[in-house]
Parts: sequence; structure tokens; C-alpha cells
Amino acid sequence: MPEIKVTPLGAGQDVGRSCILVSIAGKNVMLDCGMHMGYNDDRRFPDFSYITQNGRLTDFLDCVIISHFHLDHCGALPYFSEMVGYDGPIYMTHPTKAICPILLEDYRKITVDKKGETNFFTSQMIKDCMKKVVAVHLHQTVQVDEELEIKAYYAGHVLGAAMFHIKVGCESVVYTGDYNMTPDRHLGAAWIDKCRPDLLISESTYATTIRDSKRCRERDFLKKVHETVERGGKVLIPVFALGRAQELCILLETFWERMNLKAPIYFSTGLTEKANHYYKLFITWTNQKIRKTFVQRNMFEFKHIKAFDRAFADNPGPMVVFATPGMLHAGQSLQIFRKWAGNEKNMVIMPGYCVQGTVGHKILSGQRKLEMEGRQILEVKMQVEYMSFSAHADAKGIMQLIRQAEPRNVLLVHGEAKKMEFLKQKIEQEFHVSCFMPANGETTTILTNPCIPVDISLGLLKRETAIGPGPDAKKPKLMHGTLLMKDNSFRLVSPEQALKELGLAEHQLRFTCRVHIQDPRKEHETVLRVYNHLKGILKDYSVQHLPDGSITVESILIQATAHSEDQGTKVLLVSWTYQDEELGSYLTSLLKKGLPQGT
Amino acid sequence: YRDLHTFELQAPTRLIEWACGNRVCVAGYGQSNGNEILQLIPPPTLLTKETQGLCPERDFKVERGGFSERPVYSLKYVPDTSLLVTSGPPDSSLQVWQVSAEDSDVIKSVSTIAAENGTGQSWAKIATISARAPWVLHGSRLDRVQVTEVESRKNVYTAASRGSEELSNLAFLDCNTLLLCCATGRLCLADIRQPQSLAEAVSVPSAPCSEQWCMGSRNGAQGLEPSSQPVARLSSRGLLTLTDLRKTSEFLALAKARVPCPGSGAEFLCVSWAPALEGYLAISGFDGTVHVYDTQSWDSSGRDAEPIFVHKGHTFGGAGGSRDFPLVTVHTWHLQKPRTLLSAASDGSLHVWDWVQPCGKC
Repeated sequence: MPEIKVTPLGAGQDVGRSCILVSIAGKNVMLDCGMHMGYNDDRRFPDFSYITQNGRLTDFLDCVIISHFHLDHCGALPYFSEMVGYDGPIYMTHPTKAICPILLEDYRKITVDKKGETNFFTSQMIKDCMKKVVAVHLHQTVQVDEELEIKAYYAGHVLGAAMFHIKVGCESVVYTGDYNMTPDRHLGAAWIDKCRPDLLISESTYATTIRDSKRCRERDFLKKVHETVERGGKVLIPVFALGRAQELCILLETFWERMNLKAPIYFSTGLTEKANHYYKLFITWTNQKIRKTFVQRNMFEFKHIKAFDRAFADNPGPMVVFATPGMLHAGQSLQIFRKWAGNEKNMVIMPGYCVQGTVGHKILSGQRKLEMEGRQILEVKMQVEYMSFSAHADAKGIMQLIRQAEPRNVLLVHGEAKKMEFLKQKIEQEFHVSCFMPANGETTTILTNPCIPVDISLGLLKRETAIGPGPDAKKPKLMHGTLLMKDNSFRLVSPEQALKELGLAEHQLRFTCRVHIQDPRKEHETVLRVYNHLKGILKDYSVQHLPDGSITVESILIQATAHSEDQGTKVLLVSWTYQDEELGSYLTSLLKKGLPQGT
Repeated sequence: YRDLHTFELQAPTRLIEWACGNRVCVAGYGQSNGNEILQLIPPPTLLTKETQGLCPERDFKVERGGFSERPVYSLKYVPDTSLLVTSGPPDSSLQVWQVSAEDSDVIKSVSTIAAENGTGQSWAKIATISARAPWVLHGSRLDRVQVTEVESRKNVYTAASRGSEELSNLAFLDCNTLLLCCATGRLCLADIRQPQSLAEAVSVPSAPCSEQWCMGSRNGAQGLEPSSQPVARLSSRGLLTLTDLRKTSEFLALAKARVPCPGSGAEFLCVSWAPALEGYLAISGFDGTVHVYDTQSWDSSGRDAEPIFVHKGHTFGGAGGSRDFPLVTVHTWHLQKPRTLLSAASDGSLHVWDWVQPCGKC
């Protein structure tokens, strides 16, 4: 049976780095190439040696597809393409191609410059890697080679995130990456057509969660910000450069407008300014509402949010500042944090996940005395809050997507097996499909049942229809033909035509069976007896006694000879062609019963 | 409000049950196959005593789930075991489920406790206790009340028959005493050790139009003698009676709640006592609201009572333009946090709210 093989190299059963290997109809595709943010050593990269021990990756892989710019999906790409070695095509959407290198460079700077690591990719490597990227549009079918084609679908989640449909011949796989089935303030919801893939690979990070309504989250967030600003405090929101920052900006802008607040909101310069620029550029990737109002007012031209200057941090009075990077591990956000940490009127709101080891993680765990460079101790008196606005699909969303795409099988990544048994059963029961949950390094084989198109020769078809409809015109009719497989095409032709095309001669098979009959009389008398006997029984068949002493039943030949050693025994030779097998066997068993007395 | 969290379940529930470890259980009651029983872990905000505004985890997590072929109308955990019992139409049989398994998060169906000659029986109401053994008290009508041992499915007690009215609730007051409330409002006490006897409490005031009743009793309050806690009965017209079980011949209090009339039927009538606040109870099932009352000022006059707090959150649910407002199907109090309640409605919403005592009261 043909099969699709899937091996997660990361994100099999953990959240961290996504990297999935898919083998479909002889093609090998790598889906995402992410980095684990929690490790500082080689564990952060997927284990590429699994793919091929000594072969070249470029020869083995047909293409690499990146779903979106989050580092846990693309962070290991330069390492993979430049340090491990891959020169084939890398596919991603236009916004992802534009924003990826920025994030990679940012992360590289922090890891190498600030942390002083050596085994890491360089800026040049990022540039070289991006040269191998082929950007795709939504719903555009891209031919990777003659047999492999891919198509991107809108996934929501972050700007430029896409779900990919991969097709080889009649077999197909859909990979969702991270997606979101409910629209938010600046992005729409994921959507896919009824493509009926053999396999749907979906993330399931939030599958077992019933999420608090967005309204409540936002309301609490705004309440905290408002309270702090009202009492003259400063609010620091470290953002992870792109993604949620824009969502929060829109949220605050709308709130400030509604409540007529005067405190300034700042957006730190550099990285995130460029990000806003990209959001404006890729406005078609944002949601309906933004696009509609874009003509009157660009949602990303904020009235109340201004560019930040380092000196502003020392200004007295309330303010809100969005600064990068998101985990307070270095850079401007850390600088501002150090300035404001000592005042209990201030507040820092962490809007996302913080990797262990970063200042962000430490303060969220409750630490209030931090050791900084030069062994300085920083006492944190400011309020620390956490608010997660990340956009992932929950169980209801996953079911919705499955309902839209109608896959034959489902594979879940990014979750824990034990805790997903219920979801697995739910999917299996509701959609009657098989659901798989492999661990990292574990290969799942999915059997597919592809349709193979076969051309039937007109002559053969005409011949069959000439026979006329069977007793039950609605039932499928059995027909015989010869299947010719030539040059990737399949044709069904009559055997005669096949023989002619292939230049083969037809072989005739003939069976001969010996039946012993006790009869002391002469051969021709035995033959007469046999003839009368058969004529009497086989009334529907043409039984003939030929002048040369043989009997024919239809096209079967019966001849009698005397047994060489025993004159009392006659040997009947019954001979038939392969086509008359049934009648031949019947005759033989009939004759073996012996001749009745009296004929 | 001090705090309000709104969640949306994939399917509406008409039960919210607490399980050990602060777990909450909900279940679907749709007609079609595939109703889910979900055991949820509430977000840490609900587990801690102090309410935090922004908390890392604000979501409910589905810890375990099971599939039920019939709608689940009632569910009770069997204390000290890893089992739970459910009931629902079309008959009054009970389904027993195994909750925790080492290697899987699926709640598995284990056995069925059959209904007794149940033709045209409605679904059984249930209550559980683990005193001498894990028992379940069940029955759909007053003359069909039984106590069955859960694991062996053996009958332990059958109540004497005193009529065939439909039951609306039943409860264990302690390991020997049962409390039965009929839909007509009739309240009966039974002692397992004396199968023939059935004591009755003062019946509810009769009404011109037919109304249905349900009850709320306070069980498991620490260290308090169960029968000293008043039993509340609520009618579909909004009438509330409080009865002291030691003096069943008269009402302790009688009041009328402000509810829309005529009510939407008695399907989801629910009244419950606050476990951590003396004298407070909550009612729901009339519309999309939950009312909280302080009964300490009530007397037997049957006057209108003013709620201390009304939760209206579910009325704002209404997904996109539907004319029907959601109906609150059930509510329950948080076991430790005194003013926190959970309520669910027919549109699938699940709210967790913490109300603030209005000024002027202690």
C-alpha cells in the first residue's frame, strides 16, 4: 500500500522547536525548521542527522517549507542551510520572507554579542540562507518540480503565517503550522477549502484548553494599565518584536481614544518600527476590518502612540512604553526595566512566554532581587504582571479546521500524548478518521489509497458496451482487459491490441488429461460408447463424432487409445485449451465416473 | 463584581460538579450521540484564595474527558473512589464511569445500574455518599427510590412508597438519613435503618397555577449537624421556603423572589446554599440571571425579597442576533472562596464570578 511517512524532529510532543519531515510518494519535504528557545546548547536545534547519516541533505530533500516567522518555526534555518548544508529551495510567504531575517539577526545579535556564543550562525549566513528562499502568494499553486506542488492558505496567528497544502500525484498533506480560528483585532481567521488531503498535520498546543474570553483578558489588561497610569506610574510592556505587539497597540489606541487619556504611549525605535512598516506594506494580510478602514485611516498610523527616545525614560509622569526584546533579556527593554524597577508605582506586563534564564522568566517566577552585570543587585519593587494574548487554536478550532479540510487522517503535534487521548478519540469518533500523535524521532506511517487514473481504449469500451447491459443495469460490470504501464501513464486495452503493441505472440495453453476406462472392446467401439453417453448427458452442448475417430464437445477433443500394457483398459485423452478449463474439468470428472452399462 | 471570567464550552452543560483536587466537571445534554463529560482543572485564579488580576494561566484545562451516548442530566462523583455516576433520559438507569487511569485521560464507562421496570420513566435524580461503602441514592419517582452499592450494584435499601410523584432532588443528609423532594414541593425524610417510615415536612403553600419545586440542602458543612441546616425549596414561580428539619411542622421562612412570571418552566430550576457564607443562597433557572439572597433577614410572611446581587452576564452572551436569550442551566458555589460562583447557560457559556458585598452590610 502506498504510504506517507511523518517524522517530527521537534514538536513531536513538546512545545519548543517545530521541524517535521514528510515523505510522500517518493518526495521528501521538511516542514519548518525551528529553534528551541529554552536550551543554550545544541539541543536547541532539531536533530538533522536523523534525516540522512552521510548523504547530502540537498539531494535528499526536495524542499523546505516555513510556515511563519516565529523563531520556534524558523530559528534554526540558517544553521540548517549554511552550517549543516542545504542548497535546495526554501518556501515561505512574502511577509515571512521579509520579516524572518530581521528576527534571526536580532536573535543572533543577542546570542552572540551579549551571550558570547561561538557555535552560532553569522549575519552573512542569514543573508545567504535568505537567498535560497522562494516567496509564495496565498492560494498560488507552486510547482516545486514536475510532480510536487504546494499551495499556501491563510492561517491567522501572526502576519504572513500560512498553512501549506503539499501534493504529489494523488496524495496530499496539509500542514497547519500555528493557526487561529477566531479573528482578532488585526488578523483574520484561518481558512482552508475542502481539499480532502490524505493527512492533516495540526498543532495542538491549546487543544485541551478552554480559553478565557478575549474580552475579559483585554478588560483586565486595560484595567491594570489604566490604574497604573492614573496613579502616575509607568508601564513597561516588553514585546517580542512582532506579532502581539501590534494587537496590543491597536487595543491601547482604541482605549485611549475612548477614555480620552492623555498619558503618552511610546513604541521603541528600531526593530518594531520596521515591523509596523511591514504591516502597512502587507495590509492585504490583515483582517477585513482593517482593510476596509484602511482607506479612511490606516490602523497602524497611531494617533496616540509615538516613537520612543531613550531619554524619555527619565521623563517624570505616567507613560506606557512598548520595548523590545520580549523576555527582558537584553537591549532597550532591559535598560528601561532597570530604570523603573525600583518604583512600586510602576508596572511591567509580560505579554508572552519567557524562556528560562531570562530576566522576564525570573521575575515572573517571583524573584525580586536580580543579579545584573557587574554583580549589581537590582531590587524589583515595580509590579509584575503576565498576560498571554497568543493566538492558537483550541479544541473547537481544531475540530472546525478538520471539518473544513476533510482529511482522511489527522496527525497532532505540539502536545503531550497522555493528555491528548481524549482529543484523539473525539476526532476519531466525530470524523471517522485515524488520529496519530508521534513523539520526536518517531515515524508514523499513514497508508493512503490513491486513485490511479487509467485510460481505456475506445475499442475495448465499445466492445463491452456492445455486449449490452447486464441483468442489473445499475450494478458495476466486470470487464477484462490488459493494463499497459508505459511512461507514467496507464492504459487499459484489449489483449489483442496489447500483444500487437508489445510485439508479442499469443501463447496457447492446452491441457490433456488421461482417463482410464475398463472396456475390453475395440477402441472405436469405446469411442462410440463414450459418444452416446456424452450425447445423452450434455444435451446443451454440441457433441460430435468425427470421422477420424475422435469426439468433440464444443472445442474439447476426446480420443481413445488402447492401454499399452492392458488391452482391457482404454485410455481416453481429453484435451482442452485454457479458455475451456471449466468444461474440460467437468468432462474429465464425468468420464472418470465411468461409462454406464448398456451403451 | 470583583472578578468575572467568561468561558465558552463547546456544548452547553446543565451540571457543574466539584471533584477532589478542586476539579470541576461538566457534561453535555444534547439529544444526539457524542455528549462529552469533561473534567476540568480551573485556572489558578480560582484555586488560590487571593484573587489576582492577571495570572499566567487564566484558562480551564480539560484534564479528562469521556463520551456518553445519552444526554447527561445529572452527574455525581462517588467520594473516596475514582468513579462517578451519571443519569439521563431515556430511562432511569445509571451509568458508572471510571475517572482516573494511569496512562490515559479518557473517562471510561464501567457499568450500568439498571432501572427497575422503567417504562415511561423519566431520568433518575442521584446523590452519592461513601459511608459504609460507596452508595448511590437514585430514583425518578417517590415510589422508586433506592440506595444501591456502586461497585457491586447490589440494592441496599428501597424506600417505602408514599405516592408516585416525580422527584426533583434527593440528598444524603448523613449516612443514614435521606432527603427527598418532589416536583410538587413535597419534602420527605427517610431513614435507611427503618425502611417503612417516611417522615414528611410541612408542605408548600398551594398555588392557583401548577408550579414545580426543587430543593437545596447544605451537606458536608464542616462539623455542623446536618439536620440543623435549613432546607430551601424553590418554586418555578419564585417562591422560596426554608424549613428546619428539626421542626418540620412549620416554615422557618417564606419569601418571594423577583423573577419573571410566567417562568420558563422548571427544567433548570436550581437553588443552593453558600458553603462559606452563613445564610446566603443563590437561585437560577428563570432566565439568564443568577440571584444571590441573604436569608438571615427573612421571616414567614412570604414577602418579596431583594437579592443582594444579580449576575446578568449570561444575558449578554447571545451569539449574533438570536432572539432567545440564554437560560442559566445550573450554578454552584466555590467551596472555599466565599463569594465566588460558577454558572452555565444554554448557549454553552460558563462564567466564574466573584461579587462584591454592597456597601452598608457586614
